[in-house]
Parts: sequence; C-alpha cells; structure tokens
Amino acid sequence: MVIQGKVNGKRVSSRELEEWIQQAARDGKQTLTIHADGQHGIGGRIWPDGKRLKITVDGPAGQRLGSMGMSGTEIVVKGSVSDDVGWINCGAKITVLGDVTNGAHNAGAQGILYVQGGGGARCDTMTKFNPRFEPLQSWYFRDVGDSFAEFKAGGIAVVCGVEPRNPDNILGYRPCVGMVGGTIYFRGPIQGYSEKDVQCVALSPQDWEWLTKNIKPYLKAIDRLASLEELTRSRGEWQKLIAYTPAEKAARRGMKVPMSTFRTQVWDAGVGKGGIFGEYLEHDQTILPYITTDKNRRFRPVWRNDVYLPPCAYNCPSRIPSHKRASLIRQNRLEDALALVLQYSPFPASVCGQVCPNLCMDACTRGELDQPLDIKNLGSLSLELPAPEKARATGKRVAVIGAGPAGLSTAWQLALKGHEVDLYEGSNHLGGKLEMCIPRERLPRKILKKEISRFEEMGINVHLKTNVSGKRFKQIYDTHEVVVIGVGAHEARMVPFKGYADVIPGIEFLKQVNYGESMDFKKKDIVVIGAGNAGMDIACQAYACGASSVTAVDIQPPASFSKEQELARSRGTQILYPKSTERYDKKKNKVTFQDGTSLDADAVIMSIGEVPVLDFLPQSIHTERGYLVVNEMGQTTDLKVFGVGDATQPGLVTHAIGQGRIAADVIHTQMMNYDYVPEIQREIPRERIKTVYYEAARSDEFVVEQEANKCMSCGSCRDCGMCEVSCYYGAISRVEGDGGDFEYTVKDDLCIGCGFCAGICPCGIWEVEENV
Amino acid sequence: MEPAERLDQNHELTLKELPYIIRWREDRCTRCGRCTAVCPVNAIEPTVFAQRVIHSEGPVPTPKTVRRLTQGVRQNVDIERYCTGCGSCSLVCPTVAIEPEYHPRHKFLTFKNKGGVPYKRGGRRNDPSPSTVDQLKFTRISMLTDPALDAGRHEFRIRTLLGRNLPPKKLPLEQKNGHLQVRKEPGFIPPVREIFPIRIGSMSVGALSPHMWEGLAMGVAYLNEVEGLPVVMCSGEGGMPPRLLKSRFAKYFILQIASGYFGWDEIVHAIPEMTEDPAAIEIKYGQGAKPGDGGLLMAYKVLNLIAKIRGVPMYVDLASPPTHQTKYSIEEAVAKMIQSMSMAWGFRVPVYPKISGTKTALAVLNNLARNPYAAALCIDGEDGGTGAAYNVSMDKMGHPIASNIRDCYLDLVKQGKQNELPLIAAGGMGKAGNLAANTAAMIMLGASAVDIGKYIMQAAADCFGDEYNRCNLCNTGRCPRGITTQDPKLYRRLDPDKVAERVVDVFKSADVELKKIFAPLGRSTELPIGMSDALGVADKAIADRLKISYVC
Repeated sequence: MVIQGKVNGKRVSSRELEEWIQQAARDGKQTLTIHADGQHGIGGRIWPDGKRLKITVDGPAGQRLGSMGMSGTEIVVKGSVSDDVGWINCGAKITVLGDVTNGAHNAGAQGILYVQGGGGARCDTMTKFNPRFEPLQSWYFRDVGDSFAEFKAGGIAVVCGVEPRNPDNILGYRPCVGMVGGTIYFRGPIQGYSEKDVQCVALSPQDWEWLTKNIKPYLKAIDRLASLEELTRSRGEWQKLIAYTPAEKAARRGMKVPMSTFRTQVWDAGVGKGGIFGEYLEHDQTILPYITTDKNRRFRPVWRNDVYLPPCAYNCPSRIPSHKRASLIRQNRLEDALALVLQYSPFPASVCGQVCPNLCMDACTRGELDQPLDIKNLGSLSLELPAPEKARATGKRVAVIGAGPAGLSTAWQLALKGHEVDLYEGSNHLGGKLEMCIPRERLPRKILKKEISRFEEMGINVHLKTNVSGKRFKQIYDTHEVVVIGVGAHEARMVPFKGYADVIPGIEFLKQVNYGESMDFKKKDIVVIGAGNAGMDIACQAYACGASSVTAVDIQPPASFSKEQELARSRGTQILYPKSTERYDKKKNKVTFQDGTSLDADAVIMSIGEVPVLDFLPQSIHTERGYLVVNEMGQTTDLKVFGVGDATQPGLVTHAIGQGRIAADVIHTQMMNYDYVPEIQREIPRERIKTVYYEAARSDEFVVEQEANKCMSCGSCRDCGMCEVSCYYGAISRVEGDGGDFEYTVKDDLCIGCGFCAGICPCGIWEVEENV
Repeated sequence: MEPAERLDQNHELTLKELPYIIRWREDRCTRCGRCTAVCPVNAIEPTVFAQRVIHSEGPVPTPKTVRRLTQGVRQNVDIERYCTGCGSCSLVCPTVAIEPEYHPRHKFLTFKNKGGVPYKRGGRRNDPSPSTVDQLKFTRISMLTDPALDAGRHEFRIRTLLGRNLPPKKLPLEQKNGHLQVRKEPGFIPPVREIFPIRIGSMSVGALSPHMWEGLAMGVAYLNEVEGLPVVMCSGEGGMPPRLLKSRFAKYFILQIASGYFGWDEIVHAIPEMTEDPAAIEIKYGQGAKPGDGGLLMAYKVLNLIAKIRGVPMYVDLASPPTHQTKYSIEEAVAKMIQSMSMAWGFRVPVYPKISGTKTALAVLNNLARNPYAAALCIDGEDGGTGAAYNVSMDKMGHPIASNIRDCYLDLVKQGKQNELPLIAAGGMGKAGNLAANTAAMIMLGASAVDIGKYIMQAAADCFGDEYNRCNLCNTGRCPRGITTQDPKLYRRLDPDKVAERVVDVFKSADVELKKIFAPLGRSTELPIGMSDALGVADKAIADRLKISYVC
C-alpha cells in the first residue's frame, strides 16, 4: 500500500497521515510505502499485534520519524531524516539510508537505528536501560556531532568512523557528559570526552565478538558490506567508552593532587622548606592535639605547701600557727603542739586563752561552716608547760626597757635565741597592763602568775623598780648592743573641758582596783567617758566597787568589742553616743554635754586612751604625736634602738606580742649578721579551701582531738592524698623524704594540666599556673 | 556563716546573667579533666560537691545521715571568666557529658564593663537576623522564552575583572588595512587582572596564626595552579612573609597598605627580588566591622615572627590608627596613595582603596571615577569580621553593604562608567552560609567581586564564632581553634594542609553554585554585573530602596 504525503499538490497534515498509517496497520497491511512531505513522527506508535509492518519512506521525512516506535515495526528511509529520529524508540528498527540530524535516538530505549551516514548534535542522548528488553542499538557509519551520548543510561552506540566529516574528531565536542550507562564503540580519532563520567578502554573479546557479529547485518542494511573487512580487520582500531560506576566515581572524588603532595612538591619548592614562615618558627611543624602533656600543656599544677598563711595565722598579730598546732595534734603529738605556741608567745593561756579577742577565730575558715576552731581553749591548754629550751648562748647583750606584753615578748624571743637580756621595769611587777590594768575577772591572777613564773624560768636579768631616766638610758644604751623600748602607754589622755581636773584617769582607776586600793562607789552614779574596751573594763570594775549606775559615753559609736560590751551591759552599763562632754561640775555632781543634755555623776572616769612617757629618750630617736616612730620591723631612727608595743601605737596585747617577736627576729639577724628574711605575709585566698569536705559539727563540746580534726588546714597540706587518688592520669605521687617529711609531685609527661588537683584539694595547696 | 564583710554581694552574678550556661552531666562524667584543660577562658573549673541524705530504713523513724562527696565541674560566674560558648569542652569530652547552652535572656553586656573598660572582642556583629543580601532571590529564570544553560553540562567560566577598564572609545586601538591593532604608542593602559569573583579579604599575618595564614595562602596557590581557578587573597595589614613575596605565588596575592604601614619597608626592599607582580595593591582606609576604629595588635601577640614581618620590636602594642596620619582630604588621600603605590610597581599593578560601608561612599566613588589610576573601589559593610574591636563599634557602627553598593553602581550607571570601575563588596558575604547566593546577589546589584573573611575562617578552620557572640575570643590570643592566636600551643592544633584543602573545597563548590545560579539566567560568558532584573525580594521597602522587583 502506498500513502501519499501530498495529495493534489497539497501537503497532507501530520495528523491525517498518522490516521492513514494507523488505519493501514489496523487493516493488517504488512508493507507500506510513504511518499512523505515533511510530516511529523512517521511510523511510530504502531502497537504490535503479532504481525510485522515494514514501512518504506521516501521524500522528505519530518522530525521524530519512528518516534515511540514499537517492535514489529521496521522503517527504511531512502534518504536523510530530520531531527530526533527514533525519539523514545521502544523497539522499532529504523534504517536511514542517509544522514540523521540532531538528537537521533534521543531518549531511545529499545530497537535499532542504522545510519548510513553520520549523526548531528546530541545523538544518543538520554538513552535508557530496561532489562526486560534487548538493549538499544544505534549505528553510525561516518561520525557524530557535538554533545554525543549526554546522560546516556543504556544501549549500545557504534560509530564506525568511515570517511568522517571531521577527520580529527569523530565523536564531536565533549561527548558523554552525565553518561551513566550503556556502551559506545568507536573507531577513529576523538578529542576528549567527559572524564568525570566515562572512561575509554580497549574492547574485550566479548565486545569484539558482539561487534563483529552485529556489524554484518548493519552493513548489509545500509548497503556498505564492502567496508566489512576494513571495519573488522582489527580489534585494536576500536575503542570503547563506558560510564564509571557510582562506586568508581565516589572513589575518584576529592583532591586532584593530595595537599600534602602539593605542599612538598609545589609550595615548599616555591617558597622554601618549612613554608612561608619557616625561617621564623622555632617549634616543631607537627600538629598538636587539643589535650597535651608536658611542655605543650597550657597549664601546670604546682604543689605550694605552706606558701600562704591560713586566715588564723594571717590575722593573728602574734602569727601563732594554729593550723600547725592542729596538725601536730592530729599526728598524736599533743605536747609538741602545745609547746609550739611558746615559740610565738610567752602567754598563750593569759592572752589567747583569756584577754585576746581572738582575731584568729574571727577569721577561721571553719567559721563559715559551723564554729571557728576553739583557739582560745587550745591556748589555755598550754598553761602548765615549762619554759622551752633556749638556744646556745650567743654572748650578745640586749636591754629591754619595760616589762609589759611587748617588752616581755621581745625579751622572751631574744632569750630563746640565746641572747642575754637585761629587762628594766619601773614597777615591782612583770606583766605591765596585763598585771596592772586588766580586771582580774577577765584575767585570773593564777593564770597570769603561772605564765609569769614560766617567763622567769628563762633566766632573763630582771631589774624591777628601775625607772629609766635620760641618764640611765644612756648608760643602758652604751652597755648593750641593742636597746628595746617597750614602756607601754601609761599616761592617760585627758580632754581639758571645764572641771576636768576632777576627773579620774581611767588607767589609774584600773591600777588601783587591781592592787586592792578599791574606791568606794557605793550607791554612786558613775560616768565613764570613752566606751572602748578599757571603758568597758572600767564600767565592770566600777560596779564591782559598788556603783549603782554606770553610764559610758562616747563621741562616736563605741570601739569596744562586742564581748567586752556585753559583759559591761550585763552589769547594767548604759552606753550613750554621740556625747561630747562640755563640763563636769563636781559640786553639783553633773556632767553636761555639748548637746545640752546632762547626767548625774558622783564620779567621772576618763578612758580615751593613754600615751607613752618617753621623756628619757635622746632627740636622735624620733617620736610623733607622743609615740615612738618605728618601721614595720620595729626599728627606730636609731639603728641600735627598737620600739615595740603601745609605746609605738596603741594596740591589743597580741599586737604587742607580735611586734616583740618580729623585733627580736630583726635584732637577732642584725646582731648575728644574718640577712633578715621577712615572714610570709600572704593569706591564702579563701575560695581555695574546700569547706564542703567537712560536715558541720553537732556539738560544741571541747575535745582537743576533735578540735584538731575540725581544722581545715588552710594552705598547709594535711596529707589526705585526695589529689593522688583523683588524678585521672595517675600523674601525682606522694614522695617521702628521709626525715619523714613528704611532698606531692607531678609527672609532667602524664599531666594534661586539667587543674583537678587544684580544684579538689581540701587545703588549697595545688596552684595552677601558665606553663611557660 | 560567712561574715558579710567578706562578701561582695553587689557584684555576685547568677548563671542567669551569663550568655552561656554549661550543662554538665554528672552521670556521664569520668572526671578526666579534658574539658577544664581545654577551656580557653577557665570558665569551668573542677570542684567538689557534697550531698547529704537522711535515710530512714526501719519500720519506725530511724534517721541516718549519709554524706557523699563527689568531684565535678562547675561553671564560674566571674564576669571576667564567663563562658563564651565556644564548645571546646564538648569537643574534647569523651562521654558527651558537657556542653554550653545559649541563654537568650542573659544580661552580659550590662555587666561587661568592669573597671570602666568597655567590652572588647573579636568576631562579627551579633545579629542573627537575615541580612538584606540573604533575603534576595533570583526570580528571573529562563524558561521557554530563551535558552537556559545547564550548569552541569555547559562549560563556562566565572571570572571578573579587577582593574580599570577603558571604555571602547579610549582603547588604544586603530584600524589599519581593515584590521584593528594596538596603537604604536598606546599611552597608559591600566593594569587589569582576570580573577575569580570571590576573593579572600584582608586578614593580616598577626591577626591570624601562622598556620591559618599559610593554610589560606596554600589553598589559594592550589586553586590557581591545580584547579585553574584564579582566586586571589589579600595580605591584610601586617606585611607579607618575604619568602612568599619573592616566590612565583606572589601574583595570587593583593598587598594591603594601611595606616600602620607595617611591614612595608621589608616589602619595598623585596621589590627588586620579586619575580612576579602582586595581583593588586589595596589601600585600607576603613574596615566594615569597626568603622572609624583603628586596629590594635596586642603586645603579647607580637612575637618574633610578627616583629620580623612587620618591622617592629617584639612585645609592643601595634596600633593602626583609624586614619592615615598625613592625609587631610579625600583628594589628597586618594591621589597621593594611589600614585605612590602605582609607582612602586611601575604602574603595572592595579591599586584601589578599601573603605568601610558608609553614607559617604558616593563621594569617594566620584573621586575615584575621575582618577584614571584608580583600579576599583572596595566597600566593606557592617557585617564584616575583625580580630579585635569595641563591641559597640562592631554591633552599632557601619552600613549594610547591599544599598551601599547599589547606590554606587547606579551612580556609575548615571555617569556611564559602570563598566569601567569595578566595585568590590565585602561584609557579611556567606553570613548565613549562602556564599554563592550572596555573591551572585551582590554581583546583580552591581558588584564585580566580593571579599570573604570570617566565612572562610568558619569554612576552612571551623571557627566557632557565630552571631550569638559564641567564642569571639580572637582579641585575646586564646583562640581555641588556633586561627587567631600566636601561641604555638594553640595554633599547632590547626593543620595548614587541611585548611588549604577546605579552601579548595569552598571555592570549587562556590564555582559550581555560581554556575547553578547564572546558568538558568542564560548567562555564561560574562558575569551578570548589575543585572538587577534577575533579583526579587519579598520586602517592598527593600525592593524600592534597591530598585529591584518586589515579589511575593
């Protein structure tokens, strides 16, 4: 049957031609000849019903000839075809006895395309793979155009390369972009392909067998059997392009040249070995991990035992190391512990145990948890101790003027160090204000006497009732290597308001009471001017003398400590402030204040402090506002003369004791020609002490061992081993010395500088510092 | 009880005041101490916790106390040791037991001025909201109307021109026998470089660690020599290692000169020994991250290497003042600097200024447009990063880059010079990770190229910083990544080879992404500079301001 594409000189539409062809197929026609006139899609979509239909096309065929062609359909075109021949071919066999233009077999899946000439651009693109059918075949006798086989997924394309239009490149520009499957056999020169998608390999024997077997019918169909021998003479003339598998592609992803290779072969070769900074850097070029040890650590721990003072010792003017005392008690060395204190103070029972406000206890870290360590009681425990042993006699002679706390402390320390001490005292007692002024109820006589007698065991040359005049001073000065002035402050300061001559100086009153010359205050109203600690003592003593009322006045909030105040108030003392006294009328028994108020006063006692009597000193030794001028080491303006205690500035008994010890240390080094090394003055930072380790005590009963256990040993290693156990890396070990001493050390090659030792140390010994 | 006088209750902060709160899992922690060893600011510290439990086990009340002490990790509430959220602890923790968590209701800035010292830091502006550039989309996609390209299939090059482009009429060409040829005496032809439109912006040797700087530099060399991608990198103000200066790689680098003039005597000495001209010279007048604020390299960063390269003594503070000392007017500043720098390399190298984003950018631009030697204008917008600045400068000073570049470009268009003077945009490129999209958007607004800084630090070296003030320790010399420190203990954590590899990754993928944006527009041969009809934005005000289409 013949179908005309042009009827009566008029072109048949593509729709009509398609209807005629489909009708012919339905009618069971087996051969059709179509004289085409540019119609679209000729010969496609003839769904097979077991029969075969062979279509011969002549005349100009339109685009998409044989598109969606099915098996059973065979099309022979007697000439060239337009674009997209065999588009989505599903099984038709198409023979083109001429060229195919662009897009031949685009999206083809099954069937065969035989091309007698060459192909245009984008041939064999988007071809498919379907395992239910035989693979697609596309045969090109000459060559193909650009962008061949893009996104090819299946089928076999053969490009024979006979008489190519472009003799240098038979596969066109950049074939196989995105190709993921199928095979291309080609014969002849090419200029590249998409290397990221496909590889070019030699034909295997199986390839060759397939090619040589299938090329014969192809050549026959296009009438080129003459070339058979040329095309099958050598397997080596053929090459094959196949897609990389996904696994192969993944393996090829990444750097074209490894960076390490680039560095050594290109970069360092260009800039010099070691890179652009090689000439400046001194360290290894290796890479460090985030966690490092040894010299590459950022931080390192240091065991700083006894480098800082605990709050108790730091705040104790006498620097008594209560933490050391506790440590000795914990080591079952109670006697050593109690004796230790005597190295710091001759009066632990009288001062620590009785009169001292115990600044150590106020500062005690333990107080943050429950109660401070009972240092007061621990002090009292030293009462019965004998005098400690003295060092070997040095032959040096020192004079101490004044046997109050400061003078006694200095003399005690100097004697301990082996020096000969001459102690001069104007009164006939040792003890100064401890003896003369502090009420007996605050400092029982028995205790003081006991400690004075211990003092006397030291073999100090005591010269009582020796008033030191200017002349005497010069004599003492000339006969001693060093003179220490600890004369205290015994002259009451008085405010010269009207009627002040009738006022009793407080210090005199206290002395009188202590020596039994008690005043008769029975049923009397007493006013004490000055509500400091001494004022409170006076108030108590006044009640003891029978006073019916005591009122203490002050121009400012009272400076007395709460304990002293409480004691006075408990007796009935009233404290008034601010009250500035204007006059005292003895006759009317009235004190009038500047604010116009007044108080009845049978007696007025003034207690606003005392100044020293220093009239015996030569001019070369300076005083200022009545006090002796000294530096922090107790040195006066004369290098041979030292000053301690209230003579230099008013203070607590413990201040006087501390000053005495420091002065003695300085005097010792000065006389012995040693270098004076000042004591550590740094207090351990409070946050370093891990109070959380301790449980609050449920009882305040004083048991000496328990007390020692309560001590948190601030800044002083209690040898608990917490650090050694905690260190994850086992970098810390305890090392014991010959004398039973110990230290904790760090193995630098194990330590990462994490700071756990410092963070968990109960005593705050470990310190983390920059590892430079 | 603790005596009140020892407390400082006024200044004791709760964790709630701080920007990051450490979440520590006691049940997982092995107390290995890696977190406390690595924390750059000691924000966490080992400590002891006590637990006290009362048990009663019998049929009647039989109280029994059990005390249990454990060791663990605690966060410090000291404002000087606040947790910056860097996450180094999580990085090294073997049991996933610790991590910082951002606390959005913190009051950090309220407190961070102790001793009257305002808060200083490194990093970038803390503003997590999307930038204008990030809101722009490409709405003109070629469909059936004109052929789009396939970025994967079609080969095309993404390149831009750095340097003054002569207009056709001024090209030194003449016709002879029907052929165009260059005139015998062509006069001054401005130097122009063909480069990749994303550059690595100025970050100095000194601001960056040697490992970081070398990693970037090596990556740039690799891109040029192995990948054929002509990426250039600016030296920053801090001189240039002489070894690099004298190598053939020098041509991939832009030398920066700034108000501190650090390292320039060494550079001048090296000029006769240079085998290649540098890619360009950048004159820095301002920095987007801290406009009007100078640079300062802290003394402890000025070690041997820095001292040598910069030509200064060791361990001294190095200030780059906010202004150049000897320039008093825009005419003088621009003319004399461009002349001097052009002369140094015989007018063979493009020379251009870089300024902070500012409302006054147009004045600078117009000055440059009249100067035949000006090669470009680089504008650094507010979202730039820096090694050290006052927080107030970073957070509150500056100008967004989008409208700044747009105004400049449209001004050039008005003068008909849009193809002559390239504009380079910086500040926030890739802020939200969209480097290629930001680049393409800036190009369509009128930029010829963009600079990246903090983006490459994040991408190439995993910088921890973000818009929530995470880490941002660059100014302290304690960069936990080893990017901005001169401490070998820290920068040796950073492998320069891996930095270089990531630089290569970043530019290769940006190249692909740029193609994915440009191909659907149908552009393959030239950058779509100023092709603003391709842009759309769902914000009417932005659309009006930038003169692009409003889409929704």
